[in-house]
Amino acid sequence: MTPPPIVFVLDDDASVRKSLTFLMTTIGLRVEAFSAPDEFLRKPLPDSPGCLVLDVRLPELNGLDFQRELALRKIHIPIVFITGYGDIPMSVRAMKDGAVEFLTKPFRDQDLLDAIHAAIERDRARREREQELKGIQNRFETLSSREREVACLVVQGLLNKQIADQLGTAENTVKVHRSRAMTKMHANSVADLVRMVQKLNDTMK
Amino acid sequence: MRPHSGVRQETQQVSEQSERASELERSVARRTAELAKANEDLQKEVASRRRVEEDLRSSEERHRVVLEAASDAIVTMDDHGVIVFANPATTRLFGYEPGEVVGKPLTILMPQPMRELHVNGYRRYLATGNRHINWHGTELTAMSRDGREFQVEVSFGELSTDGHRLFTGFIRDISQRKQAEQIQATAQLLAAVRGDVSLAFGMEGSLEAILHECAESMVRRLDAAFARIWILNRETSMLELRASAGLYTHLNGAHARIPMGTLKIGTIAKEQRPVLSNDLLNDPRISDKAWAKNEGMAGFAGYPLLIGARSLGVMAMFSRKPVTTQTIEVLASVADLIAQGIERKRAEEELRATERRLKEMETELARVVRVTSMGELAASIAHEVNQPLTAIVNNGSACLRLLANRKLDPETLRLALDEIVADGTRASSILSRIRAFITKQTAEKTTLNVNEVIQEVLALTGREIQAHRVLIHQQLKPGLPPVLGDRVQLQQVLLNLIINGIEAMATLTDRPRSIFVSSQINPINRIQVAVRDSGTGFSSQPEQLFSPFYTTKEHGMGMGLSISRSLIESHGGQLQAVPLSPHGAEFSFTLPVAPEAEP
Repeated sequence: MTPPPIVFVLDDDASVRKSLTFLMTTIGLRVEAFSAPDEFLRKPLPDSPGCLVLDVRLPELNGLDFQRELALRKIHIPIVFITGYGDIPMSVRAMKDGAVEFLTKPFRDQDLLDAIHAAIERDRARREREQELKGIQNRFETLSSREREVACLVVQGLLNKQIADQLGTAENTVKVHRSRAMTKMHANSVADLVRMVQKLNDTMK
Repeated sequence: MRPHSGVRQETQQVSEQSERASELERSVARRTAELAKANEDLQKEVASRRRVEEDLRSSEERHRVVLEAASDAIVTMDDHGVIVFANPATTRLFGYEPGEVVGKPLTILMPQPMRELHVNGYRRYLATGNRHINWHGTELTAMSRDGREFQVEVSFGELSTDGHRLFTGFIRDISQRKQAEQIQATAQLLAAVRGDVSLAFGMEGSLEAILHECAESMVRRLDAAFARIWILNRETSMLELRASAGLYTHLNGAHARIPMGTLKIGTIAKEQRPVLSNDLLNDPRISDKAWAKNEGMAGFAGYPLLIGARSLGVMAMFSRKPVTTQTIEVLASVADLIAQGIERKRAEEELRATERRLKEMETELARVVRVTSMGELAASIAHEVNQPLTAIVNNGSACLRLLANRKLDPETLRLALDEIVADGTRASSILSRIRAFITKQTAEKTTLNVNEVIQEVLALTGREIQAHRVLIHQQLKPGLPPVLGDRVQLQQVLLNLIINGIEAMATLTDRPRSIFVSSQINPINRIQVAVRDSGTGFSSQPEQLFSPFYTTKEHGMGMGLSISRSLIESHGGQLQAVPLSPHGAEFSFTLPVAPEAEP
């Protein structure tokens, strides 16, 4: 069961923070509001899908610069920008840097809620991907070195006999290693194993 | 005598004889003494004569030595004016062979114009005894055998012998001394004129005033009848008369503008060579000979004013006396000085003009910045005002959602409404703050001509007007009394009205896009300015247009007319809107006449 999503609000205006919190709680979202970037950074992020509703004009730091700061800190939280006065170059930059939406105040509540849902969905998917990858990685860790060698050669499409030749061992021994590797990796088929190893390779890159 | 005639007789005889003998002796002695004396006298005489002769001979010798060794020429002429003696210095000074001048008239030692004067003067002197020149140290011009003229100082002596009169002249070559004097005088004159010119260029004043001082100096110090300076206008290739001193001081007239290369002035500038003439009546370069003759002009000197190979102009002078080498030397040097001065002055003037232009641009820029800062202001207003608006909308939306789900409890609603009211109040206080800021911006009120302000704004919006293919009609009442106002603020208002008009016509395709701007004075003595367009007009109540954030434009802020009204009201005027039939709108404002302009 995944934990309930959470929305972070970062806006220096108390009225805006308060009203956004009120609006979002009416549809059952968890909300946590901050008035300054460092206040947000000090807070350890919970392990639940979420997004950040970020005001462009902040007292100390521009919201767009804060977006880049988060990326540098590897904090991959989807961002919905809200701004009192936005222009096109500003919104283009925000979107290029991965923002989910760029809304000009005052906005329709539905537009904001749609953006927030999209952002949470995006975060959820990212988290699932990470979760899966972590599982594969953990399982891969349990393989012996010989099982890893065999698994890698299987993924390359080699037959048991060819693998045995390459490793200088008996075909039966290869069969045993292969079977153990498949079991440990929770792979139902060779195709399944190929997909898992592929994902591992992608993260190594 | 008888020796044997008695004793007595003999004694008598002896006595007589002795007497006779002694007498003879006495006589001889006396004579001898006489002779001796005579001889002595004679000898004295001879000695004396010999001494005189020797004296004479030695004196002659001395004179000969003096004559031959003298560095001055010594010439003796007879009463016919013919040279009878000339010492070696004469031939050296005048370049003649020894003996070549003796027998020739003295006039061969003189230049042509002197000869007649000499002959007449000499003749008169012989007849009347009146000397035509000072005999002791007169400076004259002499001429050598090869025709070279040189300055000499001459003294004369006269000697009469045997009814003949001889005149001896002592002639000293003073050309070197003269030359040294001349050089010194030239140097002094040059220093004086250069001093004048430097002083002139040191003055604070127009180039004309400076050049006039230079021309004055030429008249005063170089004996010019008049002096003029032309400056080359590089764009038109015309030499423009900028200074004239002396006989003529006007700067207009026939020689006020001389094309490069024409007449002598234009030729001097073009060929970059001076023109000098002391024979005006026969000089082909002098165009108006009749004038030169009437005015008694004798000399002309014109110099190009050059910086490197670049002609800046020409300076020239006419003189009633021939232009001396001294003057020429001074002119040549001063021409350079004047040219440098002009160049420097021009550079200064250009620098000043650049500074002036820069300042104008800064003013213009400041104006544009203030006008466009309405945009900046709009951004700021938007951000400030949008915060409470966002809160209001959020709170309202949340309540509506709860209401729809029948989950809205009265306490939640009350809290939300409290928030909404507070944010509404906050929004309106932000607006009053902004309005106060706009109107309290240090308005620089000066007396203004409204028509000028209109023209400035039309110039400023020229590009916008063209881009939207809008026709501008103006009906500006001439001679309007001035108003007291801030030029930039009034420009902002007009700019706003005109841009609004242009935008209201942006979608028009069925009729011409035109803006009509008018100014007039109304019956209650107020200036009234109206901007009328043929656009889409407005359907709402006119007053609504002036409320903040009311806009009919897709991307409008809704602040322009609101701010404009504040600005006009801060000027003691009124801004109103009237829809026009069948289409378009008129925005007009009134302004009070400036107090001092009231009748």
